[in-house]
Amino acid sequence: MSSAPSATALSDATLRAGIDRSLRHPVMFFLTSGAAWLAVSILLAIVASIKVHYPGFMDECPYASYGRVFPAHINTLIYGWGFQAAFGVVIWLMARMSRQQCRAAGTILTAGHVWNFGVLLGVLGILGGAGTGMPWMEFPRFVWPALVLSYFAIVVWSFIQFRVRDSDKSYIAQWYLLAAMIWFPWFFITANGLLHWSTGHPVMAAGINAWFRSAVVFLFFIPVALGAAYYLAPKLTGRPIPSLTLARLGFWSLAVVAPWAGMQKLAGAPLPVFLPYLGAAATALLAVPLATAAINILRTIFSTEEKLPKSPALHFTLAGLIGLLLLAVAAIALNLPGSSLQLTQFSIAGYGFDILAIYGCFSFIMFGAVYFIVPRITCREWLSSRLINMHFFFSAYGIVAIAFGALFGGFIQGSAQEAWLQPWETVTEVVRPYAAVSTFAWCVILFSNIFFFFHLALMWLRLGRRGATPTMLDSAAADLTATGPQAGH
Amino acid sequence: MSLRNFILGLSASFGLAWLLVVIVPFIKMRQLAPIPLSKELDGVSGVFYPKRGGRIINGAAVYGENGCYLCHTQLVRPTYAGNDLYRADWGGLAKDPERGDTRRETNAYDFEGEGFAQIGTTRMGPDLSNLTRRLEAAVAAKGSGSAEAMLYAHLYNPRRTPELRKSACPSYRYLFTRHEIKGQPSSDALPFGGGATTELVPSAEAKALVSYLLAMKKDQPAPAALNFAPPDDKAASR
Repeated sequence: MSSAPSATALSDATLRAGIDRSLRHPVMFFLTSGAAWLAVSILLAIVASIKVHYPGFMDECPYASYGRVFPAHINTLIYGWGFQAAFGVVIWLMARMSRQQCRAAGTILTAGHVWNFGVLLGVLGILGGAGTGMPWMEFPRFVWPALVLSYFAIVVWSFIQFRVRDSDKSYIAQWYLLAAMIWFPWFFITANGLLHWSTGHPVMAAGINAWFRSAVVFLFFIPVALGAAYYLAPKLTGRPIPSLTLARLGFWSLAVVAPWAGMQKLAGAPLPVFLPYLGAAATALLAVPLATAAINILRTIFSTEEKLPKSPALHFTLAGLIGLLLLAVAAIALNLPGSSLQLTQFSIAGYGFDILAIYGCFSFIMFGAVYFIVPRITCREWLSSRLINMHFFFSAYGIVAIAFGALFGGFIQGSAQEAWLQPWETVTEVVRPYAAVSTFAWCVILFSNIFFFFHLALMWLRLGRRGATPTMLDSAAADLTATGPQAGH
Repeated sequence: MSLRNFILGLSASFGLAWLLVVIVPFIKMRQLAPIPLSKELDGVSGVFYPKRGGRIINGAAVYGENGCYLCHTQLVRPTYAGNDLYRADWGGLAKDPERGDTRRETNAYDFEGEGFAQIGTTRMGPDLSNLTRRLEAAVAAKGSGSAEAMLYAHLYNPRRTPELRKSACPSYRYLFTRHEIKGQPSSDALPFGGGATTELVPSAEAKALVSYLLAMKKDQPAPAALNFAPPDDKAASR
């Protein structure tokens, strides 16, 4: 951020431009195909949600049956959008922070196509009636080895870049990203290998599946989101992270607590009793690493009285961090054995929690990263602050409606389920209004993401605005920020 | 911190949990030790060896492919984890004409023959552990029909009867085929949905699914070693 252009600043700028150029095609490929999968996933969510309150909708068609559309929605959200957005952001951030150009763009791009093809086959398999029936692992069993192999071909270069970097220092953002890159293959191969290629006890298989679902969220999506936020917040505001101790505490407490979480979804099942209750305790304890990291990053953003730049990346990151704080509260609220755990165990609150984590926290921070990264690698600025505003507000309203609707509705539904003297039919009726809210909210989110995908596709076609000033959410701030921290990226 | 120490730290923190909550329980539960029955408590000696009839593997596959597990659970939780046992017809039947109160919690042997226990995620619909027990009770009360016919009717159109008109269950009519009667009517044909010259026949998948669902009678007496209900005044009869 030096004000006078010196020799080092110039060579730094050249280095950054070189890194951006080397990664342009893979990163844009992951982000645009991820955004396309996101739109597909939301469309499937709308169909699934309509079917809950209007079960006769399209019921002649086997490919649109609720039992196939809903898994297709969740799996496209996770493997189509979530992982691909994470790949795009991780490979760029790791290259930038290690200050190394990417020398394997072709391999990454090829592996990215394999990943996409795997997801496509998997989704067609689910819709065609070849799903495995294991939540979040519904892709037919030939898909997962392809996903693992392409995963390694995508991220191994980021490891190498980190290994050969010039400095001895490492950033906290790099810890989170490296850890996510190590955890993911470990739990993914464990769960898929044990469930698809080995025979164990059926109830333990269900337990491993529940552990896997928790791991996807807390050992991949959340660390990637935190890594990106730890990078973006100081970059966008030009302020340092206030506390290294808090950052360390947040990271290592996540590493120690998160692997134990997940099996609380099977409380009361014939498993060794300590497994679900250990899972409940770990999930509630996850509030500590989540809140610690969120507060540390929020303190970075709000550490001075200066007016914050109206940058789209900052807006989305901030919203994602607020989502993370809510997730920390929900992790405690849903998992108290003896009270809320048994109430919400088999309710829509579980879905609300997952969507809050994947969309309300992870996706928002990914959107922030996308708004930050894409202008740098395409050398074009975003076309319209209005499109970005539409994306932000409709997404935010939509996710608030879904998360609160499902979390609150989950408690209502759970209370009705536990009222054992009442006939079961009352439970079905209690859920309907929340399903209707969810349908409407997904429509709003779809609307917002059409703008996002359209805007991103224009940038991908290199139709972005040429200019030196970044696109800000209020045009008056544009001249102010030209000399601000963004100019020096 | 060096990369080596970092990876060691991660491996230790993740690996410990990985071993203790995934790998060791998985290996220990692979082969459950047979449960010996005791003469004075169970009335018989030998070992507990539950059997399930029906096309469990095929039916469970259809159950999974069509996402039944999204709305139905197969778990009657013990009283410390929920109120499922108190419901009159979930854990068994509170008033079985022959055996009295048959309600019990789900045990590890109830999923014998399946690769993946469909515990379920959300209860939009009722628990299915003792679905066929409920249907048989309904058939006995009405004096006509069969549990099998009720299952086919429900899969074809879940909102067929007035009391279920508000059901949110999707129709699985794509698991049935309608074809013209040539010669003798098919013995599988359903009693409804046919016309003068056509009949409605369940597909192989529908038959497997119904066979699987007909085995949903998870209220056989559990051996004393697995039965946590107080012997006389069962908690379930509260």
